[in-house]
Amino acid sequence: MSTRIGVLLAGFGGIGSQDHQSAMYLPAFAARSDFELVAAVDVAGTDGAAKAAREYRLRLYTDLADALADPAVTLVSVAAPLAARAEIVGQAIGAGKHVLADKPLAATVAEAEEIAHRAAERRVVVVPAHHLRLGGALQATRAAVRGGRIGLPWNVQADFLVAGGDPAPTGELVNLALYPIDIVRSLLGVEVRRVHALAGSHLHRSPQDLVTLLLDHEHGVTSTIVCGRMAGLRDVPPAGVVVHRYRVSGSHGMLATDATKPAVRVHSANRHETTWAGPDTVQALLDVVHAGVMTGHAELGPDDAVHVQRVVQAAARSLRTGRPVDIEPGSDCRCG
Amino acid sequence: MPDQRTGILLVGAGFIAAAHAAAIAASRRASLVGIVDTDGARAAGFARAQGGVRHTRDLVEALGWPEVDAVIVCTPNDTHVATGLAVAAAGKHLLVEKPLATTVADARRLADRFAAAGRVLAAAHTHRAYDYGRTVRQTISSGAIGQPVFVRLAILGGWIWPDWSSWILDPRRSGGHALHNGVHLLDLATWWLGDEPTTVFARGRKQTAAELHIYDYLEMVVSYAGGATAVCEMSRAHRPGSLAQRDLLVAGTDGIVSQEWDGESAMLFGEGGTALVPAAGRDGFAVQLESWLDAIRGGTPAMPVADAVRAVAMGVAVEESIASGQPVALADVMAGAPS
Repeated sequence: MSTRIGVLLAGFGGIGSQDHQSAMYLPAFAARSDFELVAAVDVAGTDGAAKAAREYRLRLYTDLADALADPAVTLVSVAAPLAARAEIVGQAIGAGKHVLADKPLAATVAEAEEIAHRAAERRVVVVPAHHLRLGGALQATRAAVRGGRIGLPWNVQADFLVAGGDPAPTGELVNLALYPIDIVRSLLGVEVRRVHALAGSHLHRSPQDLVTLLLDHEHGVTSTIVCGRMAGLRDVPPAGVVVHRYRVSGSHGMLATDATKPAVRVHSANRHETTWAGPDTVQALLDVVHAGVMTGHAELGPDDAVHVQRVVQAAARSLRTGRPVDIEPGSDCRCG
Repeated sequence: MPDQRTGILLVGAGFIAAAHAAAIAASRRASLVGIVDTDGARAAGFARAQGGVRHTRDLVEALGWPEVDAVIVCTPNDTHVATGLAVAAAGKHLLVEKPLATTVADARRLADRFAAAGRVLAAAHTHRAYDYGRTVRQTISSGAIGQPVFVRLAILGGWIWPDWSSWILDPRRSGGHALHNGVHLLDLATWWLGDEPTTVFARGRKQTAAELHIYDYLEMVVSYAGGATAVCEMSRAHRPGSLAQRDLLVAGTDGIVSQEWDGESAMLFGEGGTALVPAAGRDGFAVQLESWLDAIRGGTPAMPVADAVRAVAMGVAVEESIASGQPVALADVMAGAPS
């Protein structure tokens, strides 16, 4: 029996014009010897599956149920348009398959909670693609904070600004903000209890392209997340990261982390850029998926998505009301 | 040729007075006439250290000295209004340590009185005179980053005021940390953005000691009429106690200007650990003094009085927001204070 994990690529869309399946997951799987791409299926009228099937010699399905019945499929990589995502993840779970899901896992807290519930019931692993928390500097930061090297943490300040690329039509609160929300939770390990949000449409001249989140966590810990998409900048690739950093203050010290590191700086006659010099975070995500499929427990799970979605939903409400919004403790939301 | 120097009286011989005295000594356009302090021994000691200038405990007496053209006040914040009104009544110009006053009503009284007297009133928002503050302002003014829409400014320290007798720890005297130090950042961010603040949302901590009556850590988030946001942190709560860091980032529609924590320092790796070694630079107090002297001679004020009143209002809004846990509209704070 092969130890390679058979992968079905399901869906080739996302928020707006996103196609993370073709751009991120497919090439990441193709580079691995412990996964085997076996099949592809479109779910929303795109032609990504046909293209991937041609290029990688995959079985091409036109019906999701047929694809999920393929006995060679162990893992489903879901990158469907957000409106259909939870439904497709649910079908994959129902078929007893493990899931790697593009972020956000679902459009609402209720959908994410339902996925968490069903995944536990069917004993399959569902990994939401919160891959930026797996970057080298952030993993080390988490270990330092959780290891007590700054004492008890009481505040995090986070900046996450990208330049260029396609803005999320519904604003970056539901798109980019997911990453720093997830990372702050990963670093601190304390749940958010109150959210005050500010947003503007300035940097990229698209809706809510600059979001400021003021979070109150358990134990009186506070955090602030600034997240936005700027217009394209010279020497920054489309959707490239311009600023990504975290300052964690604790009772006995402070930790300042530049999440764009490890990196090298390149100056030449034609360009000035910073080049990532660490392990690729999407590959690190596949390591998490692989370990999850093999052991039945993944470092990242649907509970992480539920938590982030609670914050996003509270922030959206705060933006509507102009007031802070409380989050009631979730009975089934563990803290990773 | 008659002496054209502006004769300056210092009021208050605390530690910040030495910085003002050094700026006066370095100026070709000013001279120190004397010092007033309610502690006569302290006034005498300061006067001796300044080469034997005049000294007294009596402000009215000192304001009557004929060489005095202008006054620099560095007394506790709650005394600014009474001292400032006396200076205006004597017909002298005034540079007063920030905050201009501890209430919006008092700040307005001072502004109105100096306007009526035709004398220059300036508040010592010294960060406008520091190299970094001016460089960021000039970068924004040049159009290099387009329209600025976001400011992050953090001034983080680990040293708390020396003991429980410090008047700064008493909010009735200092107005609280937002008025005492927070106004530096609130004013600077607003000056950089060139926009009108509309709403303040703030959070505070008593990190060094639960018994503090002021917040040694402040996070002050300001929303502006044009949609911009500023996140300002002022801290005396950080560890280690030797920490002294500034962090700034301004994002605009066409780019970013930033100076990170190591932006103007060398890094020392010593046997006792690592430390930042700040670069030498211009003396902000000297730059501030020269700007004030320019204004006294008819130039455009670098720190308009209205901006100082607004800074007080923002500081008051910060304290109100921390108390209520809710955003506070600047218009409400301004409306609550009679003009």
